[in-house]
Amino acid sequence: MSGTWMTTRAWLLMLPLLIIMLAVIGWPMIDTVRLSFTDAKLVGAAGNFVGFDNYLKMLGSSNFQRALWATTWFAVVSVTAEMVIGVLAALLLNQQFYGRTVLRALLILPWALPTVVNATLWRLIYNPEYGALNAVLTQIGLLDSYRSWLGEPGTAMTALIIADCWKNFPLVALITLAALQAVPRDITSASLVDGAGSFARFRFVILPYLAGPLMVALVLRTIEAFKVFDIIWVMTRGGPANSTRTLSILVYQEAFSFQRAGSGASLALVVTLIVTVLAIGYGMLVRRAAGSAA
Amino acid sequence: MSTLTINAIRKSYGAVETLKGIDIALESGEFLVLLGASGCGKSTLLNIIAGLAEPTSGDIRIGERSIVGVHPKDRDIAMVFQSYALYPNLTVHRNIGFGLEMRKVDKAERDRAVHETAKLLQIENLLDRKPGQLSGGQRQRVAIGRALVRNPKIFLFDEPLSNLDAKLRMEMRTELKRLHQMTRTTVVYVTHDQIEAMTLATRIAVMRNGRIEQLDTPEKIYNRPATLYVATFVGAPPMNLLAATAGEGGLQIDGSDIVVSVPGLESAAPGRRLVLGIRPEAIGKADGVLSLSARCEVAELTGPELVVTAMVGNQRIVAALPASTKLQAGDAIVLSADPAAFHVFDAQTEQRLN
Repeated sequence: MSGTWMTTRAWLLMLPLLIIMLAVIGWPMIDTVRLSFTDAKLVGAAGNFVGFDNYLKMLGSSNFQRALWATTWFAVVSVTAEMVIGVLAALLLNQQFYGRTVLRALLILPWALPTVVNATLWRLIYNPEYGALNAVLTQIGLLDSYRSWLGEPGTAMTALIIADCWKNFPLVALITLAALQAVPRDITSASLVDGAGSFARFRFVILPYLAGPLMVALVLRTIEAFKVFDIIWVMTRGGPANSTRTLSILVYQEAFSFQRAGSGASLALVVTLIVTVLAIGYGMLVRRAAGSAA
Repeated sequence: MSTLTINAIRKSYGAVETLKGIDIALESGEFLVLLGASGCGKSTLLNIIAGLAEPTSGDIRIGERSIVGVHPKDRDIAMVFQSYALYPNLTVHRNIGFGLEMRKVDKAERDRAVHETAKLLQIENLLDRKPGQLSGGQRQRVAIGRALVRNPKIFLFDEPLSNLDAKLRMEMRTELKRLHQMTRTTVVYVTHDQIEAMTLATRIAVMRNGRIEQLDTPEKIYNRPATLYVATFVGAPPMNLLAATAGEGGLQIDGSDIVVSVPGLESAAPGRRLVLGIRPEAIGKADGVLSLSARCEVAELTGPELVVTAMVGNQRIVAALPASTKLQAGDAIVLSADPAAFHVFDAQTEQRLN
C-alpha cells in the first residue's frame, strides 16, 4: 500500500471529526471575533462595525480590572493551596497504614462530584442561618454569632477558594500518588543509609520524580481556575458587591445579563488569549521539567 | 573480636519464613559473599544488616554494639544497590558527597573526600555530570564512590554488577577486588553469580530456602561441597550426579556394573542410596583410575575446552576435555576420573559422606 494512499485514508477517516470541530468550535470562534468588532446586542439587529471600541472600553473599565484581579487571586491562591494540600495528602496516603486502601478510594470522591453538587453542598455549609461552619465555630467558641460567609465581601472569595480546594486537591493528590509509585525503592533506601531526614529525602530524592507530573497538574489546574465559572455562579453569582466576579462571570453578565453581545465577545476573546498564553508558557515549563528529570 | 556477628536471625512475612535462623561471624577485612538462587533470602539478610528491614528475632552486632532497631544511618554501614540508586537531579559530586552533606560534614572536608574518592575510582572528570549522562559502568563507579567516601565499618553490596554487560562486569569485578585489597574494609556482598562469589570472596555463604547450606572458603565450597545443593550450584558446567548404591566392594553406579571404591566411604551400609558427584573438569580421557565406557552425544567447543555430553550406561555425564580433543557425536570414548575427586552424598539427606 502506498504512502500517499495511507495519508489520504488517514485524512478521510479524520474528516468527519474535523468537520464537526470546525462547525462547533471553528465557526463560533470566527463569529465571536466578528462580533467583538460590532456593537451587536444579544437579540435584534446584527450591529454596526465599531473597530477596537469594545476592546479599548473594556481594558479601561474598572469592572474588567477588578475581575482580572479577582480571577488572578482566585487562581493563584486556590491552585497553590491545592498543590500543597494535594502533595501532602499523597505523601500521607503513600505510607503503610491500616485502612489506606479505603482512604485512597474516598479521596477521589470530592473530585468525582459534579461542581454544581459541590457548590450547593458548600452553600449549605456556609449558610448564615443553619450552616455547619457557623455551628462548629460558635460551639467551639471561635465565633460569637453566626456570619454570612458568602454574603460579606471580605469572606466570600476565601469561602469560594476553600470550596474549590476541597473539590480539586484530590486531582493533585492522585497525580502525585501515581508519581510516588514511580520513585525507585532503592533510591529511598539509599537516602536512608546516607542519613537523609524526611525533608532532605523529599527535597532531593522524591521531588525530582514528582516535578514532571506536578507541572502537568499545575498547568491543568491553573487554566481551569482561570476559566472558573460554575462553582462561583452557583455559590455567589459574582457577589457580594462584585467581590467574586471573575472574568468568566463578567463575560456571562456582559453577554447575557446586559445582552451586549459585542463587548461580551471581546471580553471572551481576551480571556481566551490569557489562557492561551498561560498554556504555552506552562507547556514550555513542562518540557523543561521532563527534560531535566530524564 | 568479630566485626559483624549475626546471631540466630529469623525473618517472617506473615506465615512465610524467609530466614530460618542465620548465624555468621565475620572478622575485620573479610569479604563475605551471600550466594544463592532468587528467593533464598540473601537480599533479605542484607537488608536486615542495613536496617532497611527488621528481623523477626535474633541479634546483629557490629563490633560489640547490637544494631537491631538502630536507624540505617547510625549503623556505620554503606550500601551499593543493584540499580545504582543514584539521585538523578544531583551531580556526581553531590551524589558522592550526599552522605557527608547529610551528616553536616563541612564543605572543604567534603570536597576533599569526594575528590580523593573520585581519584581512586578514576571518575574525577565526571564530577560535574548528572547520572543521566553516565554509562552503566560509570554509574556503578559513582555508586561505589558514594559508599567508599564515608569510610564505613562495613560495605554492603546488593548484586552490584548484575546490570552490567559481561565484559564490564568482569572489569568491575577485578576493580572491586583491587579496592578491597586496598581498603581492607569488611564486605558483605549478595550475588547469584557463582563466578563473582568464587573470585571475590574470602568466604562464601551458600544460601537456600532461608538457611545457610555451607559457609566456607571458595576453595572448600568448590572442592568439598557439604551438600548436594552446594555441589550443583557452584561450578559450570554443573557437577555430574550419578545415582549409585553402596555395595560390598564400594559404590556401584546404577545401570552399570561399575564398582568404585571411594576413600572415606567404607562405613556406608550396603544398599544405601547414594549420589556420586564428579565435576566435568575432573573427568579426563582414558588415563585415570576409574574408566567409564561412554558414547558421545554432543560435543561443544567453548574455546578453551570441549564440553562433551556422553551416556554411561543409562546415565548422562558431562566432561570438559582439552579443546584439542577430536570427538564427534556417536563416537565411543573411555572417560576416566580419579576417585580422589569424587563427591559422595546421601541420596536422602543430601549431605556429603566422604
